[in-house]
Amino acid sequence: MARHSPVTGRYVTLEVDGLEYKVFYLHNGEGTPLICQHTAGCHNHQWRGLLEDEEITKNYHVIAYDLPRHGKSDPPLNTEWWKSEYRLTADHFVNFIVALCDALDLGDPIFMGSSFGGNVALQLALRRPDRFRAVIPVEAADYAPGFFLDWWHHPHANAAQVCASGVWDLMSPHSPEKDRWATWHYYTQGSETFKGDLYFYSVDHDLRNSLKDIDGRKCPVVMMTGTYDYLTPPEAADNTARQIKDGVYIEMTDIGHFPMSENYPLFRVYLKEALRIIRERTGA
Amino acid sequence: MAQDIEDWANRLKHLTDNDPTIAAMGKYYTCTFMYDMEDRKVIVEMHDGKVKNINTDPRPLDAYDFALRASARTWREFAEPLPKPMFHGIWAASFREDLRLEGNLLVLMQNLRNFTVQFELLRKCGVPV
Repeated sequence: MARHSPVTGRYVTLEVDGLEYKVFYLHNGEGTPLICQHTAGCHNHQWRGLLEDEEITKNYHVIAYDLPRHGKSDPPLNTEWWKSEYRLTADHFVNFIVALCDALDLGDPIFMGSSFGGNVALQLALRRPDRFRAVIPVEAADYAPGFFLDWWHHPHANAAQVCASGVWDLMSPHSPEKDRWATWHYYTQGSETFKGDLYFYSVDHDLRNSLKDIDGRKCPVVMMTGTYDYLTPPEAADNTARQIKDGVYIEMTDIGHFPMSENYPLFRVYLKEALRIIRERTGA
Repeated sequence: MAQDIEDWANRLKHLTDNDPTIAAMGKYYTCTFMYDMEDRKVIVEMHDGKVKNINTDPRPLDAYDFALRASARTWREFAEPLPKPMFHGIWAASFREDLRLEGNLLVLMQNLRNFTVQFELLRKCGVPV
């Protein structure tokens, strides 16, 4: 008998800023929509643990999509995308996420994203608090400079391995080896896109003067950061959350920048706490 | 107490040459680099995934492609079995601690997979500072 997972995948077509995308997503569960953004240059397998979490999927409809140009979501269908350099902007990223939530008819979803997904979660809380029940910025901060590097895309190096081994020590040495190598494997697959994603992450994203405009009372902001994250270390996340009205910061000990992928059993302990806080604050 | 440097070099060579992860993709892991550990410096010469030589007493004109320079204290942290945050890799320590990556970094990037695996062998053999 076939050992099928309860997780299924599907495509949805939508248009954002004049670009047509056919977006692939994995989903499982019933209840409050929990829509999940993978990290830069990666894909939705990072959420494999959460998608099959029986306890969480009893009450949450977990949706993990591939951002266009990642995983099974192709580049735009209606442009000659190969004729220009890819650079993700905050505007387009936010517009895409809202358009995807609309296309999937998600009422009052919780948005969770890690790394650049965490940074865009902060952008969503600032720009569209009306559209989301709450946001969970994982491994995020108001500003994350220093990672928009030519090395990710250098034609004289094995870009796949530079991307994968270049993010290796974003992960904690405490995390299980097999899950760190799985994450490494995913990162070998996104080298054409990684640098362009990091334009948003390290250059276009800068909320240092805007945090005071995020109201965590309207749209709860629950930040989570691992102690081994060297890009947005715990103090950066803590500093960010403090400047957001009713912002929450949860420190995750002994885990790194890809917590949901490098050590899901540990991550889920903190995630359940974040979801509990959101339930408490939104009365859901 | 700092280890005898020749013993340490032999241990690093043994660990490297017998590491299955490096051997799985060892072909073309060829480069020469310096570990500058403040009190001691070594130049490691790699060829197709095996240690060709470890120069434990570099002279002024001995060549290498790139160097990792940090305080002896930082190198000791690198060698802990489970390093503390920010001492758990060369990217972490160069962003947040006193590690400097110098020289022809393209060569480092071209060999990054195996270099990273080898660097973590210091957690098994320690450092001679």
